[in-house]
Amino acid sequence: MIFSARRALAVFRKDTLDLLKNKGLLGSMFALPATIVVVPIAVVAAYVTRPDATDLKIMAHFYEPNLPSEQALRFMVEKVLLDWFSIYLVMPVFVPILISSHSVAGEKEKRTLEPLLASPITSLELILGKSLASLVPAFVICVAAFALLCVGVDLASYRALGALVLPNGMWLFGVFVIAPLFAFFGNGVAVLISARVGDARLAQQLSGLLVLPLVGMTAGQFAGWLKAGTGYYAIIGAVVLVLDVAILVAARRLFDRERLMARWG
Amino acid sequence: MARIVVEGLGKRFGERVAVEGLSFEVAEGEVFGLLGPNGAGKTTTVRMLTGLLAPSTGRAVVCGQALPLVDEGSALRSQVGLLTEQPGLYDRLSAKENLLFFARLYEVDEVKAWALAQRYLTRFELAGREDEPVGGFSKGMRQKLAIVRALLHSPQVVFLDEPTSGLDPLSARTVRDAIAELAAEGRTLVLCSHNLPEVERLCTRVAVIKNRLRAVSSLKDLKKEGLALDVLVEGEALTFAPALRALPFGPSVQGEGPRLKVSFADEAHAPDVIAALVAAGARVHSATRVARPLEEAYLELVREEAADGGGRP
Repeated sequence: MIFSARRALAVFRKDTLDLLKNKGLLGSMFALPATIVVVPIAVVAAYVTRPDATDLKIMAHFYEPNLPSEQALRFMVEKVLLDWFSIYLVMPVFVPILISSHSVAGEKEKRTLEPLLASPITSLELILGKSLASLVPAFVICVAAFALLCVGVDLASYRALGALVLPNGMWLFGVFVIAPLFAFFGNGVAVLISARVGDARLAQQLSGLLVLPLVGMTAGQFAGWLKAGTGYYAIIGAVVLVLDVAILVAARRLFDRERLMARWG
Repeated sequence: MARIVVEGLGKRFGERVAVEGLSFEVAEGEVFGLLGPNGAGKTTTVRMLTGLLAPSTGRAVVCGQALPLVDEGSALRSQVGLLTEQPGLYDRLSAKENLLFFARLYEVDEVKAWALAQRYLTRFELAGREDEPVGGFSKGMRQKLAIVRALLHSPQVVFLDEPTSGLDPLSARTVRDAIAELAAEGRTLVLCSHNLPEVERLCTRVAVIKNRLRAVSSLKDLKKEGLALDVLVEGEALTFAPALRALPFGPSVQGEGPRLKVSFADEAHAPDVIAALVAAGARVHSATRVARPLEEAYLELVREEAADGGGRP
């Protein structure tokens, strides 16, 4: 079997074109990143407007009892940004889920699957093309959102802190290493689920359950039970990397032309 | 030379037999009809022959590629074209974007493929609409565009599932003419259809299937099997129909005014038909042997299959 990059790229190109013409999906894709960017900027802005507030110092001492009071503002700004990264990770998981659910289950719904599978494309080329079509926009959105977050947070906090807070090492590592691993994971799960279920909405809902552990992690961090940091996110990234490999193997096995045709053709 | 050779081909989905025991050949430049009622296994057969489903039993050779496939079948699928029952087009994309996507999947030269597509688009009266989103196309326009897509890579074998479904009479004729021309160019075409007059016009041979092969024959021979009598009687001919239907060999009877068309399997029964009419009081003016309509032959084959107990869910 000869792998054809041209066929995989044809699927990527077609799905991207289709996505750009799908205003509803584009709208829902941008709602989440906008929220993820605006909320921490608003929180940081709220902190810097009252840097000497007692409540801010109480909160800082809750997490770090021995913290000198004059460092409370910097600590809380950095703490919010550190913990917020778990919420940021929802984005690289969720955006590929939105796109992949539509692109795979959508082929079944629109009855385009049979002509597609009747072409010479192989399962690997199809999976690769569809994955690229969801991972590339997800990565672009994640990087763009991070850039906006950096600008927003620094504009809000520079005068009070006298230094740039973002980008920092943890966020750069997270955005360029951890987020792609999560995006790969979200995409893989969405491709697998949408190959097994009949419609895009069900595929989205089932795949969307993936974000729950991230919400749980964030809750644990806010409660002070989990202490986030570069090492913490690196461990999570390593776990996701193992899951990514497992998904890749499963996708090759489960994305079967015969099974798809017998069930959905 | 045969482009499609099928030997004992069958497909099971779990315990359910979709189709079994298919054997036939289709030659270069032939338009071959695949007939059968809904659920008879026509679509399953086409999916096996295009490498979309693996046969459970038997084997086949399509364009020199053996089935069951030993790989993913890209080589087979690059040589066959398939018009599916549903057009299956991307609604948000334009006609041109839809066609060029498939040109890339088939790895054909885009410029040449587009030039060929434009010829078909002009012929099918879609020229000038190529940049419009397909979502706004009528059912007939979508069907014609799907036909163009199936021909874009100049396949040697083309499987067409109900090609004129949803088309107005003029468009249907254009499509039929195109099919005849493709056959004249040496392409092999397999036509799945319920439209028997269309099959009669286009096909040289047909296979009748209902979960298993019921007949493979030229249309001429198929219609010759059995006999039809065109009988002219005095008065309303249908009043004698009950007497004919009571005959033990169960002839099929149609009538209008003084004319009766009586079809039956064995020509030895012709005198029995005349005798039964006379015994029922008919004054017979003439009885002429005629070719049976394809519909008659087809229905008889499908009914026989049911009587054999061969019908499956």
